[in-house]
Amino acid sequence: MRALKIAATGMSAQQLRVETISNNLANMNTTAYNARRAEFADLHYQQISRAGSVNASDGTVLPTGVQVGLGVRPAAVSVHLAQGALQQTNNDLDVAIDGKGYLEVTLPSGQSAYTRDGALKRTAEGLIVTSDGFAVSPEITIPDDATSISINAEGEVYGYFSETTEGQLLGQLSLASFTNPKGLEAIGSNLFTETEASGTAAVSTAGEDGLGTFRQGYLEASSVDAVREVTELIEAQRGYEMNAKVISAVDQMMSATTQVR
Amino acid sequence: METAGYATLSRQSGLMREMRVIANNIANSATTGYRQEGLIFSEFVQSSPGQQSLSMSRANIFNTSMEQGQLTNTGGSFDFAVEGDGFFMVETPQGERLTRSGAFSPNAAGDLVTMDGYRVLDAGRAPVFVPPDAGKIEVGADGSISANGRLLGQLGLFKPMESHTLVREDGVMFRVNGEIEESLDSKVLQGFLEGSNVNAISEVTRMIEVQRAYEMGQSFLQSEDERIRNAIKNLIKT
Repeated sequence: MRALKIAATGMSAQQLRVETISNNLANMNTTAYNARRAEFADLHYQQISRAGSVNASDGTVLPTGVQVGLGVRPAAVSVHLAQGALQQTNNDLDVAIDGKGYLEVTLPSGQSAYTRDGALKRTAEGLIVTSDGFAVSPEITIPDDATSISINAEGEVYGYFSETTEGQLLGQLSLASFTNPKGLEAIGSNLFTETEASGTAAVSTAGEDGLGTFRQGYLEASSVDAVREVTELIEAQRGYEMNAKVISAVDQMMSATTQVR
Repeated sequence: METAGYATLSRQSGLMREMRVIANNIANSATTGYRQEGLIFSEFVQSSPGQQSLSMSRANIFNTSMEQGQLTNTGGSFDFAVEGDGFFMVETPQGERLTRSGAFSPNAAGDLVTMDGYRVLDAGRAPVFVPPDAGKIEVGADGSISANGRLLGQLGLFKPMESHTLVREDGVMFRVNGEIEESLDSKVLQGFLEGSNVNAISEVTRMIEVQRAYEMGQSFLQSEDERIRNAIKNLIKT
Protein backbone atom coordinates (compact mmCIF):
# COMPACT_ATOMS: atom_id res chain seq x y z
CA MET A 1 0.00 0.00 0.00
CA ARG A 2 2.99 2.28 0.49
CA ALA A 3 3.44 2.80 -3.25
CA LEU A 4 0.10 4.65 -3.22
CA LYS A 5 1.30 7.06 -0.55
CA ILE A 6 4.67 7.53 -2.29
CA ALA A 7 2.90 8.48 -5.52
CA ALA A 8 0.68 10.84 -3.52
CA THR A 9 3.74 12.69 -2.18
CA GLY A 10 4.91 12.99 -5.79
CA MET A 11 1.58 14.43 -6.85
CA SER A 12 1.54 17.02 -4.10
CA ALA A 13 5.14 17.98 -4.95
CA GLN A 14 4.21 18.54 -8.60
CA GLN A 15 1.18 20.51 -7.46
CA LEU A 16 3.40 22.81 -5.40
CA ARG A 17 5.55 23.25 -8.51
CA VAL A 18 2.52 24.27 -10.56
CA GLU A 19 1.45 26.69 -7.83
CA THR A 20 4.90 28.30 -7.80
CA ILE A 21 4.89 28.56 -11.60
CA SER A 22 1.42 30.08 -11.69
CA ASN A 23 2.47 32.69 -9.13
CA ASN A 24 5.55 33.50 -11.24
CA LEU A 25 3.45 33.87 -14.38
CA ALA A 26 0.87 35.97 -12.55
CA ASN A 27 3.70 38.31 -11.53
CA MET A 28 5.19 38.62 -15.01
CA ASN A 29 4.62 42.37 -14.99
CA THR A 30 5.19 43.08 -11.32
CA THR A 31 7.93 45.65 -10.78
CA ALA A 32 11.19 44.07 -9.55
CA TYR A 33 9.59 40.65 -8.99
CA ASN A 34 12.01 37.74 -8.81
CA ALA A 35 10.89 34.28 -9.93
CA ARG A 36 10.49 31.58 -7.28
CA ARG A 37 11.47 27.98 -7.80
CA ALA A 38 10.23 24.98 -5.86
CA GLU A 39 13.04 22.67 -4.75
CA PHE A 40 12.49 19.07 -3.67
CA ALA A 41 14.37 16.51 -1.64
CA ASP A 42 13.74 12.81 -1.14
CA LEU A 43 12.12 11.55 2.05
CA HIS A 44 13.41 9.09 4.58
CA TYR A 45 14.60 5.65 3.41
CA GLN A 46 13.35 2.43 4.89
CA GLN A 47 16.13 -0.09 5.47
CA ILE A 48 14.84 -3.50 4.42
CA SER A 49 18.18 -5.19 4.69
CA ARG A 50 21.14 -3.24 5.91
CA ALA A 51 24.26 -2.92 3.84
CA GLY A 52 27.10 -4.65 5.62
CA SER A 53 24.96 -7.18 7.47
CA VAL A 54 26.37 -10.68 7.58
CA ASN A 55 24.79 -12.91 4.96
CA ALA A 56 26.34 -16.27 5.73
CA SER A 57 28.23 -18.06 8.49
CA ASP A 58 31.51 -17.66 6.63
CA GLY A 59 31.30 -13.93 7.11
CA THR A 60 30.02 -12.92 3.67
CA VAL A 61 28.70 -9.43 3.95
CA LEU A 62 25.83 -7.90 1.96
CA PRO A 63 27.47 -5.26 -0.20
CA THR A 64 24.50 -2.96 -0.74
CA GLY A 65 21.39 -3.94 1.15
CA VAL A 66 17.92 -2.78 0.22
CA GLN A 67 16.63 0.68 0.92
CA VAL A 68 13.24 1.78 -0.24
CA GLY A 69 12.49 5.48 -0.31
CA LEU A 70 9.24 6.87 1.00
CA GLY A 71 8.65 9.65 -1.50
CA VAL A 72 9.46 13.30 -1.92
CA ARG A 73 9.06 16.48 0.12
CA PRO A 74 9.33 20.15 -0.76
CA ALA A 75 12.69 21.38 0.56
CA ALA A 76 12.42 25.05 -0.30
CA VAL A 77 10.71 27.56 -2.51
CA SER A 78 13.73 29.69 -3.19
CA VAL A 79 13.87 33.08 -4.80
CA HIS A 80 15.93 33.22 -7.92
CA LEU A 81 17.72 36.53 -7.44
CA ALA A 82 18.29 38.13 -10.79
CA GLN A 83 18.45 41.64 -12.10
CA GLY A 84 15.33 42.43 -14.10
CA ALA A 85 15.52 44.49 -17.26
CA LEU A 86 15.41 48.25 -16.75
CA GLN A 87 12.41 49.89 -18.35
CA GLN A 88 12.42 53.55 -19.13
CA THR A 89 9.46 55.44 -17.69
CA ASN A 90 10.85 59.03 -17.67
CA ASN A 91 9.11 59.53 -14.37
CA ASP A 92 10.99 61.76 -11.88
CA LEU A 93 10.33 59.52 -8.92
CA ASP A 94 10.87 56.15 -10.57
CA VAL A 95 14.20 54.73 -9.46
CA ALA A 96 15.56 51.34 -10.45
CA ILE A 97 18.31 49.68 -8.44
CA ASP A 98 21.04 48.51 -10.78
CA GLY A 99 22.82 45.81 -8.75
CA LYS A 100 22.48 44.53 -5.20
CA GLY A 101 20.45 46.24 -2.48
CA TYR A 102 17.00 47.09 -1.21
CA LEU A 103 15.21 50.33 -0.37
CA GLU A 104 14.16 50.49 3.26
CA VAL A 105 10.56 51.52 4.02
CA THR A 106 8.77 52.02 7.32
CA LEU A 107 5.51 50.13 7.77
CA PRO A 108 2.65 51.75 9.73
CA SER A 109 3.59 49.44 12.64
CA GLY A 110 6.99 51.12 12.81
CA GLN A 111 8.71 47.95 11.57
CA SER A 112 11.15 48.16 8.66
CA ALA A 113 10.50 46.41 5.36
CA TYR A 114 12.64 46.23 2.26
CA THR A 115 11.77 46.50 -1.42
CA ARG A 116 13.34 46.76 -4.85
CA ASP A 117 10.22 48.35 -6.29
CA GLY A 118 11.35 51.92 -6.92
CA ALA A 119 8.05 53.31 -8.23
CA LEU A 120 8.06 56.08 -5.64
CA LYS A 121 5.35 58.70 -5.15
CA ARG A 122 4.96 61.77 -3.04
CA THR A 123 2.24 62.49 -0.51
CA ALA A 124 0.29 65.74 -0.17
CA GLU A 125 2.94 66.81 2.37
CA GLY A 126 5.72 66.10 -0.11
CA LEU A 127 7.04 62.97 1.65
CA ILE A 128 8.57 60.31 -0.63
CA VAL A 129 6.57 57.08 -0.26
CA THR A 130 6.13 53.74 -2.09
CA SER A 131 3.08 52.98 -4.23
CA ASP A 132 1.36 51.67 -1.08
CA GLY A 133 2.06 54.89 0.81
CA PHE A 134 4.82 53.61 3.11
CA ALA A 135 7.50 56.21 3.84
CA VAL A 136 10.96 55.52 2.44
CA SER A 137 13.66 55.55 5.12
CA PRO A 138 15.53 57.91 5.59
CA GLU A 139 12.56 60.23 5.11
CA ILE A 140 12.89 62.82 2.38
CA THR A 141 10.40 65.64 1.88
CA ILE A 142 10.08 67.49 -1.41
CA PRO A 143 8.97 71.11 -1.00
CA ASP A 144 5.81 72.16 -2.86
CA ASP A 145 7.57 74.75 -4.99
CA ALA A 146 10.16 72.36 -6.45
CA THR A 147 9.79 72.31 -10.21
CA SER A 148 11.80 69.20 -10.85
CA ILE A 149 13.68 66.50 -8.99
CA SER A 150 16.87 64.79 -9.86
CA ILE A 151 18.19 61.62 -8.25
CA ASN A 152 21.76 60.63 -9.00
CA ALA A 153 23.44 57.22 -8.99
CA GLU A 154 24.37 57.53 -5.28
CA GLY A 155 20.75 58.30 -4.39
CA GLU A 156 21.18 61.98 -3.66
CA VAL A 157 17.87 63.77 -4.24
CA TYR A 158 18.16 67.32 -5.61
CA GLY A 159 15.25 69.71 -5.92
CA TYR A 160 15.21 72.46 -8.55
CA PHE A 161 13.31 75.67 -7.89
CA SER A 162 12.23 78.29 -10.38
CA GLU A 163 14.25 81.13 -8.87
CA THR A 164 17.56 79.31 -8.61
CA THR A 165 19.44 77.41 -11.26
CA GLU A 166 21.48 75.43 -8.74
CA GLY A 167 19.88 72.28 -7.36
CA GLN A 168 19.29 71.95 -3.64
CA LEU A 169 20.16 68.69 -1.82
CA LEU A 170 16.99 67.40 -0.15
CA GLY A 171 18.29 64.09 1.19
CA GLN A 172 19.87 60.83 0.15
CA LEU A 173 18.28 57.45 -0.49
CA SER A 174 20.25 54.60 1.09
CA LEU A 175 20.41 50.92 0.23
CA ALA A 176 20.18 47.96 2.59
CA SER A 177 21.95 44.68 1.92
CA PHE A 178 21.74 41.23 3.50
CA THR A 179 24.17 38.35 3.86
CA ASN A 180 21.52 35.97 2.54
CA PRO A 181 18.86 37.89 0.59
CA LYS A 182 17.18 34.56 -0.28
CA GLY A 183 16.30 34.27 3.41
CA LEU A 184 14.11 37.40 3.40
CA GLU A 185 10.45 36.82 4.10
CA ALA A 186 8.12 38.09 1.40
CA ILE A 187 5.09 39.82 2.91
CA GLY A 188 3.38 40.82 -0.33
CA SER A 189 3.16 44.23 -2.03
CA ASN A 190 6.79 43.72 -3.23
CA LEU A 191 7.94 44.01 0.39
CA PHE A 192 10.30 41.82 2.39
CA THR A 193 11.15 41.68 6.07
CA GLU A 194 14.35 40.43 7.62
CA THR A 195 14.53 37.01 9.28
CA GLU A 196 17.01 34.88 11.22
CA ALA A 197 18.08 33.38 7.92
CA SER A 198 18.70 36.64 6.08
CA GLY A 199 20.77 38.30 8.78
CA THR A 200 20.32 41.92 9.76
CA ALA A 201 20.25 44.70 7.21
CA ALA A 202 23.49 46.57 6.55
CA VAL A 203 22.50 50.06 5.43
CA SER A 204 24.99 51.89 3.26
CA THR A 205 25.34 54.34 0.40
CA ALA A 206 24.56 53.18 -3.11
CA GLY A 207 27.66 52.28 -5.11
CA GLU A 208 29.69 51.32 -2.02
CA ASP A 209 30.38 47.91 -0.41
CA GLY A 210 29.39 46.06 -3.58
CA LEU A 211 25.93 47.69 -3.62
CA GLY A 212 24.13 48.74 -6.77
CA THR A 213 23.40 52.23 -7.98
CA PHE A 214 20.19 54.17 -8.60
CA ARG A 215 18.85 55.02 -12.01
CA GLN A 216 16.26 57.75 -12.17
CA GLY A 217 13.47 57.45 -14.72
CA TYR A 218 13.67 53.66 -14.90
CA LEU A 219 11.86 50.79 -13.24
CA GLU A 220 13.17 47.26 -12.81
CA ALA A 221 10.96 44.80 -14.68
CA SER A 222 10.02 41.37 -13.36
CA SER A 223 12.77 38.81 -13.95
CA VAL A 224 10.30 36.02 -14.78
CA ASP A 225 11.33 34.13 -17.92
CA ALA A 226 8.04 33.13 -19.51
CA VAL A 227 9.58 30.48 -21.77
CA ARG A 228 11.24 28.72 -18.86
CA GLU A 229 8.07 28.87 -16.76
CA VAL A 230 5.94 27.36 -19.51
CA THR A 231 8.51 24.59 -20.11
CA GLU A 232 8.50 23.87 -16.38
CA LEU A 233 4.72 23.87 -16.39
CA ILE A 234 4.66 21.16 -19.05
CA GLU A 235 7.19 19.13 -17.06
CA ALA A 236 5.19 19.53 -13.87
CA GLN A 237 1.96 18.53 -15.57
CA ARG A 238 3.51 15.38 -17.07
CA GLY A 239 5.13 14.58 -13.73
CA TYR A 240 1.74 14.85 -12.08
CA GLU A 241 0.17 12.55 -14.66
CA MET A 242 2.95 10.02 -14.25
CA ASN A 243 2.41 9.88 -10.49
CA ALA A 244 -1.33 9.48 -11.09
CA LYS A 245 -0.49 6.59 -13.41
CA VAL A 246 1.43 4.89 -10.59
CA ILE A 247 -1.62 5.22 -8.37
CA SER A 248 -3.89 3.59 -10.94
CA ALA A 249 -1.32 0.81 -11.54
CA VAL A 250 -1.10 0.07 -7.82
CA ASP A 251 -4.88 0.21 -7.62
CA GLN A 252 -5.14 -2.45 -10.34
CA MET A 253 -2.57 -4.60 -8.53
CA MET A 254 -4.66 -4.30 -5.38
CA SER A 255 -7.78 -5.28 -7.21
CA ALA A 256 -5.95 -8.30 -8.66
CA THR A 257 -5.07 -9.24 -5.09
CA THR A 258 -8.61 -9.01 -3.83
CA GLN A 259 -9.91 -11.13 -6.69
CA VAL A 260 -7.91 -14.14 -5.57
CA ARG A 261 -10.00 -16.44 -3.45
CA MET B 1 3.94 -29.20 0.48
CA GLU B 2 2.36 -26.34 -1.45
CA THR B 3 5.54 -25.15 -3.07
CA ALA B 4 4.04 -23.48 -6.13
CA GLY B 5 2.05 -21.08 -3.99
CA TYR B 6 5.04 -20.11 -1.86
CA ALA B 7 7.32 -19.54 -4.83
CA THR B 8 4.72 -17.27 -6.44
CA LEU B 9 4.15 -15.45 -3.18
CA SER B 10 7.86 -14.59 -2.90
CA ARG B 11 7.72 -13.19 -6.43
CA GLN B 12 4.56 -11.21 -5.68
CA SER B 13 5.97 -9.53 -2.58
CA GLY B 14 9.14 -8.72 -4.53
CA LEU B 15 7.05 -7.10 -7.26
CA MET B 16 5.19 -5.04 -4.65
CA ARG B 17 8.55 -3.87 -3.36
CA GLU B 18 9.70 -2.97 -6.85
CA MET B 19 6.49 -1.00 -7.37
CA ARG B 20 7.40 1.06 -4.33
CA VAL B 21 10.85 1.74 -5.74
CA ILE B 22 9.30 2.83 -9.06
CA ALA B 23 6.77 5.02 -7.25
CA ASN B 24 9.62 6.64 -5.34
CA ASN B 25 11.61 7.25 -8.52
CA ILE B 26 8.63 8.84 -10.26
CA ALA B 27 7.77 10.91 -7.18
CA ASN B 28 11.35 12.22 -7.22
CA SER B 29 11.47 12.95 -10.94
CA ALA B 30 11.69 16.68 -10.13
CA THR B 31 14.11 16.42 -7.19
CA THR B 32 17.41 18.21 -7.78
CA GLY B 33 20.36 15.80 -7.76
CA TYR B 34 18.21 12.68 -7.17
CA ARG B 35 19.71 9.37 -8.30
CA GLN B 36 17.41 6.71 -9.74
CA GLU B 37 17.13 3.56 -7.70
CA GLY B 38 16.73 0.09 -9.15
CA LEU B 39 15.96 -3.34 -7.75
CA ILE B 40 17.51 -6.61 -8.87
CA PHE B 41 15.83 -9.96 -8.32
CA SER B 42 17.90 -12.94 -7.37
CA GLU B 43 17.16 -16.64 -6.88
CA PHE B 44 16.90 -17.88 -3.37
CA VAL B 45 17.06 -21.63 -2.94
CA GLN B 46 15.50 -23.13 0.11
CA SER B 47 16.72 -26.60 0.79
CA SER B 48 14.46 -28.94 2.66
CA PRO B 49 16.02 -32.19 3.89
CA GLY B 50 14.70 -35.33 2.21
CA GLN B 51 12.65 -33.30 -0.24
CA GLN B 52 13.20 -31.34 -3.38
CA SER B 53 14.66 -27.94 -2.77
CA LEU B 54 12.47 -24.91 -3.42
CA SER B 55 13.59 -22.05 -5.59
CA MET B 56 12.14 -18.69 -4.63
CA SER B 57 12.59 -15.20 -5.93
CA ARG B 58 14.13 -12.51 -3.80
CA ALA B 59 14.43 -8.78 -4.47
CA ASN B 60 17.36 -8.02 -2.25
CA ILE B 61 19.91 -6.08 -4.23
CA PHE B 62 19.46 -2.47 -5.07
CA ASN B 63 21.55 -0.28 -7.26
CA THR B 64 21.85 3.44 -7.75
CA SER B 65 22.09 4.84 -11.24
CA MET B 66 25.05 7.21 -11.44
CA GLU B 67 24.12 8.51 -14.84
CA GLN B 68 24.47 12.27 -15.31
CA GLY B 69 21.16 14.08 -14.77
CA GLN B 70 19.99 16.82 -17.05
CA LEU B 71 21.58 20.21 -16.40
CA THR B 72 19.26 23.19 -16.11
CA ASN B 73 20.55 26.71 -16.45
CA THR B 74 19.22 28.72 -13.52
CA GLY B 75 21.70 31.61 -13.58
CA GLY B 76 21.86 31.64 -9.77
CA SER B 77 25.36 32.44 -8.50
CA PHE B 78 25.04 29.83 -5.72
CA ASP B 79 23.53 27.08 -7.88
CA PHE B 80 26.08 24.43 -8.73
CA ALA B 81 26.04 21.21 -10.72
CA VAL B 82 28.70 18.52 -10.88
CA GLU B 83 29.70 17.09 -14.20
CA GLY B 84 31.35 13.73 -13.62
CA ASP B 85 31.26 11.27 -10.73
CA GLY B 86 31.98 13.73 -7.90
CA PHE B 87 29.75 14.83 -5.02
CA PHE B 88 29.66 17.90 -2.81
CA MET B 89 30.34 17.22 0.85
CA VAL B 90 28.09 18.64 3.54
CA GLU B 91 28.39 18.59 7.29
CA THR B 92 25.32 17.27 9.14
CA PRO B 93 24.91 16.62 12.86
CA GLN B 94 25.25 12.91 11.99
CA GLY B 95 28.55 13.37 10.17
CA GLU B 96 29.80 14.09 6.69
CA ARG B 97 27.43 13.36 3.82
CA LEU B 98 27.73 13.49 0.03
CA THR B 99 25.18 15.15 -2.24
CA ARG B 100 24.73 16.03 -5.90
CA SER B 101 22.12 18.67 -5.13
CA GLY B 102 23.98 21.96 -5.45
CA ALA B 103 21.26 24.52 -4.65
CA PHE B 104 23.24 26.34 -1.97
CA SER B 105 23.02 29.79 -0.44
CA PRO B 106 24.99 31.67 2.19
CA ASN B 107 23.34 31.81 5.61
CA ALA B 108 23.17 34.81 7.93
CA ALA B 109 26.68 34.04 9.23
CA GLY B 110 28.11 33.91 5.70
CA ASP B 111 28.63 30.14 5.57
CA LEU B 112 27.55 28.40 2.39
CA VAL B 113 24.70 26.02 3.31
CA THR B 114 22.34 23.57 1.60
CA MET B 115 18.58 24.03 1.43
CA ASP B 116 18.30 22.14 4.72
CA GLY B 117 20.82 24.47 6.36
CA TYR B 118 23.81 22.09 6.50
CA ARG B 119 27.21 23.63 5.83
CA VAL B 120 29.00 22.85 2.58
CA LEU B 121 32.60 21.72 2.97
CA ASP B 122 35.60 22.73 0.88
CA ALA B 123 38.46 20.63 -0.47
CA GLY B 124 40.04 20.54 3.00
CA ARG B 125 36.73 19.48 4.59
CA ALA B 126 36.26 22.86 6.33
CA PRO B 127 33.10 25.01 5.92
CA VAL B 128 33.03 27.35 2.95
CA PHE B 129 32.77 31.00 3.98
CA VAL B 130 31.48 33.69 1.63
CA PRO B 131 31.96 37.26 2.95
CA PRO B 132 28.68 39.26 2.73
CA ASP B 133 30.36 42.17 0.94
CA ALA B 134 32.22 39.96 -1.53
CA GLY B 135 30.37 41.22 -4.59
CA LYS B 136 29.91 38.93 -7.57
CA ILE B 137 30.92 35.34 -6.88
CA GLU B 138 32.64 33.37 -9.61
CA VAL B 139 33.22 29.64 -9.37
CA GLY B 140 35.69 27.89 -11.64
CA ALA B 141 35.45 24.38 -13.03
CA ASP B 142 37.66 23.03 -10.24
CA GLY B 143 35.34 24.54 -7.60
CA SER B 144 37.55 27.51 -6.74
CA ILE B 145 35.44 30.41 -5.48
CA SER B 146 36.58 33.93 -6.19
CA ALA B 147 35.18 37.44 -5.91
CA ASN B 148 36.75 40.42 -7.68
CA GLY B 149 39.82 38.35 -8.51
CA ARG B 150 40.34 37.32 -4.86
CA LEU B 151 40.33 33.60 -4.10
CA LEU B 152 37.91 32.80 -1.26
CA GLY B 153 38.10 29.01 -1.13
CA GLN B 154 37.43 25.89 -3.11
CA LEU B 155 34.35 23.70 -3.14
CA GLY B 156 35.34 20.14 -2.36
CA LEU B 157 34.47 17.35 -4.78
CA PHE B 158 34.55 13.85 -3.41
CA LYS B 159 33.54 10.36 -4.39
CA PRO B 160 33.36 7.05 -2.58
CA MET B 161 36.24 4.65 -3.22
CA GLU B 162 33.68 2.00 -4.12
CA SER B 163 30.30 3.15 -5.42
CA HIS B 164 28.31 0.39 -3.70
CA THR B 165 29.22 1.83 -0.28
CA LEU B 166 26.76 4.69 -0.83
CA VAL B 167 23.74 4.53 1.48
CA ARG B 168 20.76 6.75 0.76
CA GLU B 169 19.53 9.24 3.30
CA ASP B 170 16.75 11.79 3.12
CA GLY B 171 17.44 15.22 1.69
CA VAL B 172 19.18 13.81 -1.42
CA MET B 173 22.21 12.89 0.66
CA PHE B 174 24.35 9.79 0.77
CA ARG B 175 26.27 8.29 3.66
CA VAL B 176 29.43 6.44 2.73
CA ASN B 177 30.14 3.14 4.45
CA GLY B 178 33.78 3.17 3.52
CA GLU B 179 36.56 5.33 2.22
CA ILE B 180 36.00 8.69 0.52
CA GLU B 181 38.51 10.08 -1.93
CA GLU B 182 38.80 13.31 -3.85
CA SER B 183 37.22 13.30 -7.27
CA LEU B 184 39.75 14.83 -9.62
CA ASP B 185 38.02 14.39 -12.96
CA SER B 186 34.75 16.14 -12.04
CA LYS B 187 33.83 19.68 -12.97
CA VAL B 188 31.72 22.25 -11.15
CA LEU B 189 29.32 24.32 -13.22
CA GLN B 190 28.08 27.56 -11.72
CA GLY B 191 24.55 28.73 -12.49
CA PHE B 192 23.36 25.21 -13.27
CA LEU B 193 21.44 22.61 -11.30
CA GLU B 194 21.49 18.92 -12.05
CA GLY B 195 17.98 17.56 -12.37
CA SER B 196 16.86 14.13 -11.26
CA ASN B 197 18.36 11.37 -13.43
CA VAL B 198 15.12 9.36 -13.37
CA ASN B 199 14.37 8.10 -16.86
CA ALA B 200 10.61 8.67 -17.04
CA ILE B 201 10.01 6.44 -20.06
CA SER B 202 11.84 3.41 -18.69
CA GLU B 203 10.21 3.85 -15.28
CA VAL B 204 6.69 3.95 -16.71
CA THR B 205 7.47 0.96 -18.94
CA ARG B 206 8.84 -0.95 -15.96
CA MET B 207 5.77 0.03 -13.95
CA ILE B 208 3.46 -1.52 -16.56
CA GLU B 209 5.66 -4.63 -16.67
CA VAL B 210 5.54 -4.99 -12.89
CA GLN B 211 1.79 -4.49 -12.84
CA ARG B 212 1.19 -7.13 -15.51
CA ALA B 213 3.64 -9.57 -13.91
CA TYR B 214 1.81 -9.11 -10.63
CA GLU B 215 -1.57 -9.77 -12.25
CA MET B 216 -0.11 -12.85 -13.94
CA GLY B 217 1.08 -14.11 -10.57
CA GLN B 218 -2.35 -13.55 -9.08
CA SER B 219 -4.10 -15.43 -11.89
CA PHE B 220 -1.59 -18.24 -11.46
CA LEU B 221 -2.43 -18.39 -7.76
CA GLN B 222 -6.11 -18.46 -8.69
CA SER B 223 -5.75 -21.36 -11.13
CA GLU B 224 -3.57 -23.16 -8.59
CA ASP B 225 -6.36 -22.66 -6.07
CA GLU B 226 -8.88 -24.19 -8.50
CA ARG B 227 -6.59 -27.09 -9.28
CA ILE B 228 -6.31 -28.02 -5.61
CA ARG B 229 -10.05 -27.54 -5.14
CA ASN B 230 -10.81 -29.89 -8.03
CA ALA B 231 -8.27 -32.41 -6.79
CA ILE B 232 -9.96 -32.52 -3.36
CA LYS B 233 -13.40 -32.75 -4.95
CA ASN B 234 -12.34 -35.67 -7.14
CA LEU B 235 -10.71 -37.42 -4.22
CA ILE B 236 -13.94 -37.19 -2.20
CA LYS B 237 -16.00 -38.59 -5.11
CA THR B 238 -13.86 -41.68 -5.54
